[in-house]
Amino acid sequence: MKKIVLFLTIITALVYTSCDKEEFLDQPIQGRQQLDDFFSSEQNAENFVNSIYRKVNGESWFQVNFQRQINEMATDDNWAGNTRQPRPDITGISQYNVFAGSRYFVLFWESHYIGITRANISLDRIPDVDIDEDKKARLLAEAKFLRAFFYFDLVRNFGGVPLVTSYNEILQPSINDKERSSVEEVYAFVEQDLMEAMDDLPLKSEYAAADLGRITKGAARSLLAKVYLYQEKWAEAQTMAKVVMDSGEYSLEPDFADLYKVGNAHGIESIFAIEFINNPTFTEVGGQFSITNGSRGDRGWGWGSPTSDLENAFLSEGDNIRLRSTIIKHGEPVFGDPAVTSFDGEPSENKSGRTNRKYYTPIADRPEPYARGQIPGQYMHIRLADVILMHAEAAYFNGDETSAKNSLALVRDRVELDTNMSLSGDALRDAIWKERRLELALEQHRLYDIRRQKINGVPRIASILGPNGTFVKYNTEESTDPFETTNLLEPQNSGTLFDPNIHMLWPIPPDEIQLSRGKITQNPGY
Amino acid sequence: MKQLVLIFISTLCLSFTVASQNNVTGNITDDQGQPIPGVNILEKGTTNGFVSDFDGNYSISVGDNATLVFSYIGFKTQEVAVNSRGTINISMVTDNEQLAEVVVIGYGAVKRDKIATSISSVDGEEISKQVASNAAEALQGKAAGVQVLSSGGSPGASPRILVRGITTVLGNASPLIVLDGVLQASGTSLNSINPRDIESMDILKDAAASAIYGSRASNGVILITTKRGKAGKTVVNFDFNYGVQGWDKVEVADAQEYIEVYNARRINDNADPSVLLNPDDFGAGTDWWDEVVEDFAPIVNANLRASGGSDNIKYGASVSFFDQQSNYSKGNYQRVTARFNVDFKISDKITLKQDLTPRIETFENTPNLLFNSLRIDPITPVFIPQSERVGRNEFSIFGLSRNLVPNPVGQLARQFAQNDFFALVSNTQLEYKISPDFTFNSQLGFTVSSLTWEVFNPEYFIGPNRQREINNYTKNVTQNFNYVINNTITFDKTINEKHYLNVLGGILFDSESTNYLRGFRDGIPSNTNQNLWQLDAAEGETVRAFGNEGTQNILSGVFRTIYSFDNRYTLNASVRVDQSSRFPKDGRTGIFSSVSLAWDIDSEDWFKSEAINNLRLKIGVGELGNQNISRDGQFFAIGSDSFVFGGERVVSNFLSQFGNTNLQWETVRDKNFGVDLGLFNNEITLSAEYYVKTSEDLLNQVLLPNFTGVPGTVAQNVGSIESKGIDIALGYNKKWNDFTLGLNLTLSSNESTLVEAAPGNEVILGQRRPTLGNRFVKITELGEIVGLFQGYKNDGIFQNQTELNSHTSEDGTIIQPNAQIGDLRFVDQNGDGQLDDEDLVTIGNPFPDFFGGLNVNMQYKKLDLSMQWYGTFGNDVYNGNLEYIRAGTQNLNVLAGTTDVVWTPTNTDARFPRLTELDRNGNYQNPSDLFIEDGSYLRLRNIQLGYNFNVKGFQRCRLYVSGQNLITITDYSGFDPEVQSGGIINGLGVDFGRNPVAKTYLLGLNLTL
Repeated sequence: MKKIVLFLTIITALVYTSCDKEEFLDQPIQGRQQLDDFFSSEQNAENFVNSIYRKVNGESWFQVNFQRQINEMATDDNWAGNTRQPRPDITGISQYNVFAGSRYFVLFWESHYIGITRANISLDRIPDVDIDEDKKARLLAEAKFLRAFFYFDLVRNFGGVPLVTSYNEILQPSINDKERSSVEEVYAFVEQDLMEAMDDLPLKSEYAAADLGRITKGAARSLLAKVYLYQEKWAEAQTMAKVVMDSGEYSLEPDFADLYKVGNAHGIESIFAIEFINNPTFTEVGGQFSITNGSRGDRGWGWGSPTSDLENAFLSEGDNIRLRSTIIKHGEPVFGDPAVTSFDGEPSENKSGRTNRKYYTPIADRPEPYARGQIPGQYMHIRLADVILMHAEAAYFNGDETSAKNSLALVRDRVELDTNMSLSGDALRDAIWKERRLELALEQHRLYDIRRQKINGVPRIASILGPNGTFVKYNTEESTDPFETTNLLEPQNSGTLFDPNIHMLWPIPPDEIQLSRGKITQNPGY
Repeated sequence: MKQLVLIFISTLCLSFTVASQNNVTGNITDDQGQPIPGVNILEKGTTNGFVSDFDGNYSISVGDNATLVFSYIGFKTQEVAVNSRGTINISMVTDNEQLAEVVVIGYGAVKRDKIATSISSVDGEEISKQVASNAAEALQGKAAGVQVLSSGGSPGASPRILVRGITTVLGNASPLIVLDGVLQASGTSLNSINPRDIESMDILKDAAASAIYGSRASNGVILITTKRGKAGKTVVNFDFNYGVQGWDKVEVADAQEYIEVYNARRINDNADPSVLLNPDDFGAGTDWWDEVVEDFAPIVNANLRASGGSDNIKYGASVSFFDQQSNYSKGNYQRVTARFNVDFKISDKITLKQDLTPRIETFENTPNLLFNSLRIDPITPVFIPQSERVGRNEFSIFGLSRNLVPNPVGQLARQFAQNDFFALVSNTQLEYKISPDFTFNSQLGFTVSSLTWEVFNPEYFIGPNRQREINNYTKNVTQNFNYVINNTITFDKTINEKHYLNVLGGILFDSESTNYLRGFRDGIPSNTNQNLWQLDAAEGETVRAFGNEGTQNILSGVFRTIYSFDNRYTLNASVRVDQSSRFPKDGRTGIFSSVSLAWDIDSEDWFKSEAINNLRLKIGVGELGNQNISRDGQFFAIGSDSFVFGGERVVSNFLSQFGNTNLQWETVRDKNFGVDLGLFNNEITLSAEYYVKTSEDLLNQVLLPNFTGVPGTVAQNVGSIESKGIDIALGYNKKWNDFTLGLNLTLSSNESTLVEAAPGNEVILGQRRPTLGNRFVKITELGEIVGLFQGYKNDGIFQNQTELNSHTSEDGTIIQPNAQIGDLRFVDQNGDGQLDDEDLVTIGNPFPDFFGGLNVNMQYKKLDLSMQWYGTFGNDVYNGNLEYIRAGTQNLNVLAGTTDVVWTPTNTDARFPRLTELDRNGNYQNPSDLFIEDGSYLRLRNIQLGYNFNVKGFQRCRLYVSGQNLITITDYSGFDPEVQSGGIINGLGVDFGRNPVAKTYLLGLNLTL
């Protein structure tokens, strides 16, 4: 026994002298920075804030962009479109045969919350970084704005959502017991974030060229105006929109056709936009929509094609300037793209043979290879015309019809449409709403607008969709559109299943209910 | 590759020559007069030797005064002087002392009766009988409590081994593999070893046995001992077999039936008639199975082994070649392994053993095309018409399906994925007998390996979103370097004949490191010239490089005592201390101890029984560690991506991984009770064991609710699982004159329950199904069996309007407002009038009531027959194929005969609901027991018939035919009841139509020189 002890002692001694035990056992992670060391410089702090922006439109086509597109398909402006490869989790939703488990709902939900957590981490860590105080304040304000944007986007899609307001919160075990907050609580939080962000944000003109695209004071004001508008806080909405209009920072793009022109990202009308560039070294720095929305005859996937109902709305106003820059039609030339004299809308595979011109990339502007994620352009979340029409709408509901009409005229003047300055009451209201539809058509505002706009307390969507909805009636009884009435692979009565008791909100992703052990509850009807 | 083999073989052939003197012949028999083949005959003091042939005959040329040494395991060694005789017949005497089997126990080997722990042993003879590419396949049904789950029928697929069920929640529940004392890197598959090189496999099942391997042993340990040279004449063995394997065809609907289903789904939804397809426009359509699957895939296996040596130097060398093709035109697996070992007896005190094992594997990834071949519609042609091919390259001439399934023939054509693997394993063992009782062992084992994979993706256009605008090429090189250094000292002594004591202590280092480098470029100038598929040739603008490295280390101290008194009472005890770099400093150290006792009742003086020759009781308790969690699980790591401001790309950084600074060891505590019984001189043997295993501080990668904004999963210690089970092994071995019979039955049963949950982990969810609304199909709840299937209970099909109207809650709320006649009726468990998460209940259990194997070995004169049956009984399978294969969801194809098994007004007792495109009732969009089936099966895994014959100059010749998986008896309707996918708790019993296990037919020849 003594010998054993002796030998063990010798071996142990050998081991402990010949090798540094700590060095052997400390194996730090390789090739990746760690959170606790990361917030050590101004550049790193800024890079982290950049990642919050990345979640505004998601990394690729599917995280958030496509849910926005599906939202458009669930209105009278868009068909699902692609009749060659219909999918229940896209086509079904557009027809209000809603599959709660659609991956697009859960990806949208998840991506927004990842953005919120990135903002929360920034707000937790950046205050301790040793940088210029103005820059620090700006970065924190950017994070706050973006957090507000994410919550606003969530609340208008899903209703009251769980409100995570700090990074520390998710490190506590109590996070598992989190429940949904009310719609009012979410809106209150969004307003608070925007108010706080506003003061520290620069004007658009104060940013260097290399920083164009960062959040501005104008963006915060505009978003706040919209948040007020959604809550029908008409007075605040009108005031806030007016501040933006009078800021001198923005003006309407003189030629409507230039709004989405490649190379015009962050143009004079743009208030909050995500820019896309072509840079093959890096994945997904370019746009998605010209492929996902493109015609199947034009190397696209054929989703989200404009309806003849939308086209008719333009025609009824005699609005050719915006029509030609909004809808491309099979067999016709593409306005602004001299290379295409007869567009292939592939009506046998596409419900309406029409394509969204705003997200179309002219042949000359297409990179080679013409690949998804590499197409230059921009996605505008808020532009001045939107704010002016918010102002018009808010003014109308405040009883300030003169201001409302002035704003309406501002937008119509650009596209050479006369404004009937004698409009009043419901007719004025309807004119403002219609103007909103035409001006912002296919920019993915429509679903939210017709959900929130009410006539005698009834949301407009309920009169547009459903078995007796105007859109459904038009398609099933009146339409003679040569494409839509012949390609019935997507049925003409799309929208007939709409039920106002269910479909004013989207379903909470079912896996979230399971993961929260039932603490997160489903919206009614799903 | 084949040339390499030839070179090896010729080298080996040159390496032995025979000297010639006087000839001695004779016959060797046992005490019953039966001939003994394989007896080693050695001319004493030389390396000149011979081995007896099948009939016990030998012939050797020796000097007149030579002495011959006859030795064979289980018999006493005899020395006989030749004295100029020409014929010497020998009768060998059984050596009872020697017969006591030696068992490898980790850092040593002792006789079986000195073991009080639970160890199953399988000898190499058994393993090599099964013509398997992988030793794990040969284990199935051979050792009680060891479950071998097939990974499907792709070349090179390595089965998953479970020792005594599941006690960890993460995917990798594979046992630790220890090859000749060297711990293999986690995740090592048994592919790495040539089954023919295996001398024995010992499976350590309880914690008392495995505790000596502490930290990495919680899923059990498989100790593999390879064959080594024996002193005596060089023995050369050659084994060759060739065979084919194929699958049973799965019959899916042809174009006519597909259209019938396609139309019915629309007609039932009142769709406009213009959207229906006209069957007259299509013929029988494409038979995708025939287009994609090859009926027979060849499989070749060749082994050559030579061993021999003198008392001072023994050597063994082997080389093997294995080639398996897949049942597709792409996909194969080739392996060349060699093994050289030399034992030098440097002095009476010092022995040095050196093993060197190079291995080359090349494989082309086998596509899992079964899934797509079954789902693609039969009305899509394989190729587009000649007239439409203008301007298209050869990858762009494939038909675009009407549903979302890629054309599998096109997929096959586009797949170019090649893998080259090389490994060199060196194992050096120095044994120093300090005194007769003390032995010092020092071992250095290391493995260097390198895997290079290359993927070329050609440019093609089949349709929008079925296209690649620009081709690309990726090359990845991963290198691993692992080493172990073990220093142990052993005291082994029998004192006063009654006290046996074996004490071991040691210090162990274990290190695994890996690094990889990957390059990607696009714009390769040619889609077809393979010489240009290199990074250097690329001309595109996208250039990407990736690379990283990582190391994980364990430092351990071990101590073990084995004490046995008078062959009656045996005590084993061990302690192991582990420190692992995977855990933060505070949770780094784990201490694992064990103790076990055995009582040999039959050795007691008072025990007198004619029938019972062996009766032994044993009991053991022990602890083990599990560090099976991401190497970097403790760290909060930053990732990077891009964004755009002002027209330029900027860097974006984010938190890509949430760490856990409180991470610590998972500890498995285990109790084992066993009895061994031998009757009629071991004609009948029985071994039965009962165990309770509790895993505490279970390691899991936890999925948090999405609203936390935590990407991916977080490593956590989540609770405790208790696993209880019984293992029974029953054997009957008897020899009549010319006939030998061996029957060995193993039966096991076990059940694992979540007995404790950390806050927030009261429910562990698994198997998220996008098709079913992203719901989790598998659930583990506190107090319940782990990994149960969860969903709605269905209560039949609505047959009429009355049934629809009466399916309400008590207050009259219609529960399924969107249902129609022919849809499934789901049970509203809580009666609240709506179907939601509160109505999800347990709908199945993937664990079998019991599983086991029956091995039958028979020998009659020169004929031998063996069979291995394996089965599981009482387990449920989630048949994921049913999500579409009877529904035609998303216009996917259905099984042939679907129109006969779905509900129609004239087929009202159908199992499956009506066909519908909108599926507003969610028949196929909700998890329900519609998808659950009984997965019990019994399978003839292997049957082999051998014929032994004599050829002059050979000791032994054997010709054999073998068939694998020829018979499967099951009610399961899927393609293969032997299913699993993903992790264990998540994946066990879930079938998503992977490549099924193939039927194999082989013909082989075994020669011993």
